[in-house]
Amino acid sequence: MPLELSGLTKTYSKDGSGFRLLPIDLTIETGEFFCLLGPSGCGKTTVLRLIGGFETPTSGKILLNGKDITQLPPHKRNLHTVFQRYALFPHLSIFENVAFSLRLKKLGRSEIEERVSEALKLVQIEDLRDRRTDQISGGQAQRVALARALVDRPEVLLLDEPLSALDPELRVKMREELKALCKKVGLTFIMVTHDQEEALQLSDRMAVMRDGQCLQVGTSKTIYEDPVDPFVARFIGQVNEITGDLFGDSPETYFLQSSLGNFRIKKNGHPLNKRLNLILRPEKMRLLRQRSQVQENLIEGSICDLTYLGSRTEYTVKVKDATFKVFEQELERLKKRKLNVGDNVYLTWRTEDAILLNSPNS
Amino acid sequence: MDSKATTSKQIPVTALVFIGWLFLMTFLPFLIILGMSFLERTPLGTISFHFNFNNYARSFQYIYLKVLFKTVWLALIATLSCLAVGFPVAYHLARSKGWMKQLGLVLLFIPFWTNFILRIYGLVSLLGNHGLINQILLSLGIITSPLEILYTRTGVYVGLLYNYLPFLVVPIFSALEKLDPSLREAGFDLGANRFQVFWRVVIPNIKEGLFVGSLFVFIPMLGEYVIPDLLGGAKEAFLGNVMVSQFFVMQDWPFGSAMAGLLSALMLMTLWIQTRWSKTSGLRGGSLNA
Repeated sequence: MPLELSGLTKTYSKDGSGFRLLPIDLTIETGEFFCLLGPSGCGKTTVLRLIGGFETPTSGKILLNGKDITQLPPHKRNLHTVFQRYALFPHLSIFENVAFSLRLKKLGRSEIEERVSEALKLVQIEDLRDRRTDQISGGQAQRVALARALVDRPEVLLLDEPLSALDPELRVKMREELKALCKKVGLTFIMVTHDQEEALQLSDRMAVMRDGQCLQVGTSKTIYEDPVDPFVARFIGQVNEITGDLFGDSPETYFLQSSLGNFRIKKNGHPLNKRLNLILRPEKMRLLRQRSQVQENLIEGSICDLTYLGSRTEYTVKVKDATFKVFEQELERLKKRKLNVGDNVYLTWRTEDAILLNSPNS
Repeated sequence: MDSKATTSKQIPVTALVFIGWLFLMTFLPFLIILGMSFLERTPLGTISFHFNFNNYARSFQYIYLKVLFKTVWLALIATLSCLAVGFPVAYHLARSKGWMKQLGLVLLFIPFWTNFILRIYGLVSLLGNHGLINQILLSLGIITSPLEILYTRTGVYVGLLYNYLPFLVVPIFSALEKLDPSLREAGFDLGANRFQVFWRVVIPNIKEGLFVGSLFVFIPMLGEYVIPDLLGGAKEAFLGNVMVSQFFVMQDWPFGSAMAGLLSALMLMTLWIQTRWSKTSGLRGGSLNA
């Protein structure tokens, strides 16, 4: 059974920030790893706190398994939060931290012992059970927080930027563990993050947010390949953008007329003469030495920078007063680099790889 | 490099001045008192340099022990009253925001811009039979005869509470301020109600602050002299009052010194218990430095 948010809004007027969370409608499926992604101040943490019960929505409803939990206080909701800085209780040992929720439920000694051990084992920290919270590392504290939140089997686990306090190497390692943990326990994980790579890697689906608004919900692949908004496209991965006006000379062929030339596009319901953004991912573009056989979607420029990164080379190409990023994969070992800084090149792409979006300035 | 290493081990001059002052004005007089407590009073009221333990033996006589116990008891009750009144104050101050918090702290300390003795005389004129409180209550017809507050134990409690409250509120306030708000949220999140969050999360994490605050008021209360003298009348004498009368009325400096030595030992013992306790309970001495 899913977690449903319907028409959820939150307005802060007291602190004068004037923040508004616009109505959000979301259905998060059971067992799904769902990410709320966006820059700071976009409202993603507010959504998480509303679900956790730490904030009351201005309007709208939260349904967990069909039951309305909007007005329930946090301790009556069958979901737990992993806090950004873990919020482990400093006065309790690791064992007692994990046992906290079980003790409140007044379970028997042997059952508490058994379930805490099981939870500690799940996150591989059985040997830390008698330590104090100031005797463990950040990565270990993260595991304790996970064990504490999972021990009494909630229906949903909320994670508030859980990896942001870890050093980069550990962060990447913990990503894989989190994903594996979600599938192992079969619970719904809802994670807030501002790290697009983290969201791409972890989430089954994600919601991209900006300014209190949910811009797009979808799988990593949908969000990357089919963004519905230039902001989403720019926030996830890198983009090259060409702004122009749509025009058509026959019912089948449409062109984007821009200062860099006319480019063929697939029509998808945009009206003629509308100002549009043509968005191209760097890895979907090709560099050519000569014009050769390609006739359309061609821009002439010169390489002003290149960076060899092992699996790929990143080129920066200057075209008039614009620059384009192009990533080319290094497919053959010991192949001599064919292009150098200063070389004249042609940029090209397949018509179907271009993303066409409404220009926000129009 | 070398000179830097040596200077870092030396005590700075400014600190030396202070340490010297402390030695001269606190430690040295204390040593004199301690030395005197082993001497003898001559019938003329002068001091004879005859080393003995008689003054300490006399301190353990019933009438003096009774004063000691009463002092400890009254200080204890007053400390607990301070906790009962001060904790909610600290709690609300710590949770309020912006100018409310500033205002609360200022209000807490404004009385301290007035001299201590003046404040006590202020209380005398408030609490007396013809004082403001009785006047108002009488004129409103709530009481028919004045409430006996001044020169009773209640008067002493009122004075102690009024004067020591901020010293208890501040350490508790700073302990609450330092308490990570997400700990309370984590408590709620894990299924604790308000009551359980308070007793299982808040209190255990500020108990050092509670203890330090209590000692901040309990120890000086043990040595209190002016408040019982001016607000309690003769019946409610503290050990401090008995000591003063030994020095200035009975002219028995050695015996007065022995009582002072005993009281100091009691205070040091309280401090020692506190340090022992905070070590064994595995708490870091954070709130002491606050």
